[in-house]
Amino acid sequence: MALVSEKDLRDIIAQVLTEMNVGQDGGSAASSGSAAKADCQTTIEDGCWDDVAAVDLRTQYLVENPVNRDAYYDLKQYAPCRLGIGKAGARYKTLPVLEFRAAHSAAQDAVFSDVDQDFVDKMGLFTVQTKCDCKDTYLTRPDLGRVLSDEAVATIKEKCKKNPKVQIYVSDGLSSAAIAANVGDVLPAIEQGLKSYGIDYGTPFFLKYGRVGAMDQVSEITGAEVTCVLIGERPGLITAESMSAYLAYKATVGMPEARRTVVSNIHKDGTIPTEAGAHIADIIKKILDAKASGTDLKL
Amino acid sequence: MKETILSVGIDIGTSTTQLIFSRLTIENLASSYMVPRIRIVDKEVTYRSEIYFTPLLSQTEIDAEKVKGIIEREYRKAGMKPEDLQTGAVIITGETARKQNANSVLASLSSMAGDFVVATAGPDLESVLSAKGAGADRISEEKRIAVANIDIGGGTSNIALFQKGSLKGTSCLDIGGRLIKVEHGRISYIYPKIQKLAERHGIRIAVGDRADESTLYRVCEHMADQLAMAVHVMEPDELHEGLYTNDGRPLTAEPKAAGLTYSGGVASCYYNGEPGNVFEYGDVGVLLARAVKNNAALKTITTYPAAETIRATVVGAGTHTTNVSGSTISYTSGKLPIKNIPVLKISEEEEQEPAMFRDAIRRKLKLYEGENGLEQVAIVFSGKYHTTFAQLQELSRTIAEGADEVIAGPHPLILVIENDIAKALGNALNVLLMRKKDIICIDGIFANDGDYIDIGEPVAQGRVVPVVTKTLIFNT
Repeated sequence: MALVSEKDLRDIIAQVLTEMNVGQDGGSAASSGSAAKADCQTTIEDGCWDDVAAVDLRTQYLVENPVNRDAYYDLKQYAPCRLGIGKAGARYKTLPVLEFRAAHSAAQDAVFSDVDQDFVDKMGLFTVQTKCDCKDTYLTRPDLGRVLSDEAVATIKEKCKKNPKVQIYVSDGLSSAAIAANVGDVLPAIEQGLKSYGIDYGTPFFLKYGRVGAMDQVSEITGAEVTCVLIGERPGLITAESMSAYLAYKATVGMPEARRTVVSNIHKDGTIPTEAGAHIADIIKKILDAKASGTDLKL
Repeated sequence: MKETILSVGIDIGTSTTQLIFSRLTIENLASSYMVPRIRIVDKEVTYRSEIYFTPLLSQTEIDAEKVKGIIEREYRKAGMKPEDLQTGAVIITGETARKQNANSVLASLSSMAGDFVVATAGPDLESVLSAKGAGADRISEEKRIAVANIDIGGGTSNIALFQKGSLKGTSCLDIGGRLIKVEHGRISYIYPKIQKLAERHGIRIAVGDRADESTLYRVCEHMADQLAMAVHVMEPDELHEGLYTNDGRPLTAEPKAAGLTYSGGVASCYYNGEPGNVFEYGDVGVLLARAVKNNAALKTITTYPAAETIRATVVGAGTHTTNVSGSTISYTSGKLPIKNIPVLKISEEEEQEPAMFRDAIRRKLKLYEGENGLEQVAIVFSGKYHTTFAQLQELSRTIAEGADEVIAGPHPLILVIENDIAKALGNALNVLLMRKKDIICIDGIFANDGDYIDIGEPVAQGRVVPVVTKTLIFNT
């Protein structure tokens, strides 16, 4: 098989260079080269790019020449989905790609970052930990996220009120961002709701690296009738700040999952946190009245 | 889980009196792990009464006894008892609402038409109810356009414009089928404004004249033109403005209706054809229907079939006046139902500043001080500006200060809010007032100054309350 000779190759390169106007000969090439140079001057402007994470998905509509923009826009108002974001050839447009990656990054950050200790202190919560020693263990060993460390057991026994009607605690779960965004409204709203019903509650605390199942052990240690954990939900690409409350009546380690009652989707664009707190207090009252939770409780 | 509530609608109109019973189905649309979202998911008319001519003692007085007799007879025929009903509305519409004894008729009916059933009237509301009964709101929502319903009754034509399912405006004109009456082949009554309209176009008619079909049809043509002007498909003439009921306002020019529906007695001839004798009903209704149908300007807009014609208002009153509150609310059990509570509305501007909010409540409460102390009132506001826990605590203190007179008095503290904060606010107030005061705090409801509200007994395991917002402004 004949290879391209060295001469042929040189000719081809020379031809390409000529066509690109970067050859050594030819006045026009030289002058356009200097013009290009002038364009390459760096200019620094004040200002910044718009925050791609700040785009409201409900109002963003990027389809060019739509048949009926209004109708599609109205449809988009029902849910913050990535609909009507247009395309460039067969691909997504640049802006939606950047938004998607920003949302993905926010989700990752929510999982991998820790809840700010200042926030926990400000809420007046003491901190205990599960048997996980770091995020990596937490993510790779779900079983350890359901068991309190020996130190945690001792601290809870020491600091928490014994046998309360209700034990509420906060746990990072899979989104630290959800805790920071919602607990400040949800926790006091639950407590106020319980107060308004005249139901007493125990000492709240923060459990680091916790999974939902840890509530069963908390229930056993404190002897609470109802245990309620406020825990960060696995983040999605619409919000990384969604929180759930799991509640159980006299939870015990190894009990069926079906005995948990859950209120999910607590975030500013879902269930409004303060109103969610008031609703959770209501559910706690119903659990206490019915002495049942999960599928045993008709809500 | 579905639940049904039974509703009655009674319409005492200028020319006819009717009644319907309907079944409203409410359902929690949210999944079990979410905060409940309870809505009315289905409305079904289960009984339609005969259509009666409204009994009158004179031009200015309704025959209350006969009206009551009609209603009682229809209850019996339908096998319904007042105590079977959870909600509903009695509505006195059109010219009838101008009768001297309209109020006492309503009072006599509300006692027998079910515990929760009460009076509603006013031309704006009538426009809205008839349009909903005719289905104009639904058509506008499905077709994503603006649709006007013209409810052509005996004394008035009520217009309501909906765009994509939401109300954009109402108006009411003195155009109707019974504004010229015919007895024994002669004209027996002409409404002054219609007399003027005829004169303006050089048509001479007088009470006592032989009822000539072609002459009266020409008058009806001009009446139809006025309706075309009202929906902005024809340039208004100098008489047009004067034809609005009680010097009311026309619809705004935008959005312009792209679709029309007709309801009312006249519309029944429009859609279903004329009876053999044009003066069968003793008025010019049949001719007006023909004139509207032949009107070139009105024909430029697509006309859609109406879900109801002559019964549109009563169906609207029976099925569209009841709303359900938000699903996270706070109330003291045993204090409901409450009826005919006047609305004390706090403007959004006043809402944003605690001192202004407090003072506005105090100032407006003074309006409800009667001989026997403070009347029962509902404090209404948007709730948009207080959503965090801390803001709601501040709000509860503001309200407790502003409404201290209510709190010290015998009536419950009633708060009606648009935004979903009622449960948390109710809790905050309960804690603040140490559970010593009865509080009814509901959300998901819109009301304005001048409105009255009824709050029914809780349904759906006590999670929501049915609410009727009424505009009790009579034409005077």
